[in-house]
Amino acid sequence: MSTTYTIPIGPVHVGLKEPVTAWLELDGEKIVGARVRPGAIHRGIEFMARERNPIQVIYLSERICGICSFSHVLAFIRAVEDLAGIKVPPRGQYIRTLVLELERLHSHLLWAGVACYTIGFDSAFHLGLLLRERVMDVLELLSGNRVNYGVATFGGVRWDVTPDLDRAARDMIRYYRREFTPFREIVMEDPIAQARMRDVGVLTREEAVRHSAVGPVARASGLRIDLRKSSPYEAYADIPVEPVVPQDYLGHAHGDVLDRFVVRVMEVYQTLDILEKVLDGMPEGPFVAEPNANKVLGQLKPAEGVGWGIIEAPRGDDTHIVSLKAGEDNVFWWKVRAPTYANAVSWPLMFRDNELADAPLIINSIDPCISCMERVMVTGGREGAQVLTKAALIDLCRAKTARISGGVTR
Amino acid sequence: MSKVSETESFKTASLTKAPVPCAALVDAFKAKFGATLLRLDVHEKTGGLDGAVQSRDIWAEVEPEAFRPFVENLFCYDFPDFHVMSGDDTGESVTLNYHLSLFQRERNGRVGVTVTVKVPKDRLSMPSIFDLLPGSEYSEREMREMLGVDFVGLPNKALVFLPEDWDEEIKPWRRDESGPKPDMVRELS
Repeated sequence: MSTTYTIPIGPVHVGLKEPVTAWLELDGEKIVGARVRPGAIHRGIEFMARERNPIQVIYLSERICGICSFSHVLAFIRAVEDLAGIKVPPRGQYIRTLVLELERLHSHLLWAGVACYTIGFDSAFHLGLLLRERVMDVLELLSGNRVNYGVATFGGVRWDVTPDLDRAARDMIRYYRREFTPFREIVMEDPIAQARMRDVGVLTREEAVRHSAVGPVARASGLRIDLRKSSPYEAYADIPVEPVVPQDYLGHAHGDVLDRFVVRVMEVYQTLDILEKVLDGMPEGPFVAEPNANKVLGQLKPAEGVGWGIIEAPRGDDTHIVSLKAGEDNVFWWKVRAPTYANAVSWPLMFRDNELADAPLIINSIDPCISCMERVMVTGGREGAQVLTKAALIDLCRAKTARISGGVTR
Repeated sequence: MSKVSETESFKTASLTKAPVPCAALVDAFKAKFGATLLRLDVHEKTGGLDGAVQSRDIWAEVEPEAFRPFVENLFCYDFPDFHVMSGDDTGESVTLNYHLSLFQRERNGRVGVTVTVKVPKDRLSMPSIFDLLPGSEYSEREMREMLGVDFVGLPNKALVFLPEDWDEEIKPWRRDESGPKPDMVRELS
């Protein structure tokens, strides 16, 4: 008689942000085997592109993901620029880099908040999402949108950085330098958070190499890889970036969920430094090579070949391959490889010998993708609805840690 | 140029090798693969204020027989990072592109390597590289379901992105009679 049984987590599950199925083989509460089956949300977007011209596909690619939408746009655009030989003026490159880093900032803040939610630390979740609002405001000031910015186009960008935006971005950098550290300390110093994340969902360094893990997942396993360093693009050519790895902060890389948390929160500080350098070094001049979209389409019509665009998105390297055919209006074919496509191959390894209850945390540790936002509000109190301030949330987080530690002060 | 044996690079699975300049790699590939290397281009990517070259991608097309030796040879230089496969129906054949990277440790060190193979439609079969690069699993399964190429040695050949009840005779990315018929495509706009 078999001593194990198999249960599915997903495709729709309260702990998951996106539909995916993990078939877990269990011995008691212990996971002894795992099979992952994506496919519940395949929309055939690459097929749809064959009936659209390259400008239209910019906006299609923006809708692949609600969080790293700009990364997908830029990877697609760079693939087309690679095959058609289009050059981007320096100011355009710097504005692209600015948006990339703003996107990394809001993506990492969201992930850190959601990781807290997944382990049941809801006050820290709300604090994380409250902090994230500031960068969303800056993105909204730049583009008018919170999610799909419509900023990039072939040969540059569509919106300039105004003195107002420069000031708002610098205020934002000061705000995060002041306010982010309490959040990081609250989570990192919480013994329950430590216990829930340490040694959970381990991917060793060698496995990360062999299974081609990318981004913060690879770096949490100790790999010093970052495309912003190994093949700098846009303004990263002028701004050196060193990969953030846990061994530099903790002495040792465990490759577990806590290390993925450490990598992402330390990358927030790195992003603030990069943003400041981008704003300081912003060159004068045009921000797009050719502003007229019809002329751009005319330039692209004789282009023929295959191009490869690859950038370091918040979750790892994002690869787009595009083929255009001379004389054709539409994109000939297009292949998108989001970072999760690469990291999902490593899920079965991360599940090994973990507890069933940690399965959603392990799944979320590589890829949270939730584009909706919650405002911080408590309803149903005696005084009616009540908005919690940041200070109140910090107090709530600390009170929770003290309560669970039995009142032991640290 | 420091080289280690194939087996050592595969066993250690680390990204610690010193980068080899792109031009030296091109010469080495040409010398080793001769006539089985059908085409070799280099794309340069520029960036920054001075528009200097920041990275280079090698695009190599090889004969199907030379494909696996070509990938194995990359392990002499570094553990290749597998990104993805792309592909298209090109009439008499299905063209597959394997996108890989070498040397991701050093600043400006990365060299992208795309290996292109034309698989004739009368024998749509390729040796799997799952044993060398397990990160290729989803890509090989995707090319199998979307373009109908079989991968010999791939342990799990189940559908990966298409629904469970999909008619496997239909290959969504094919441009011939195996592709989707117009009545299967729902126009939304």
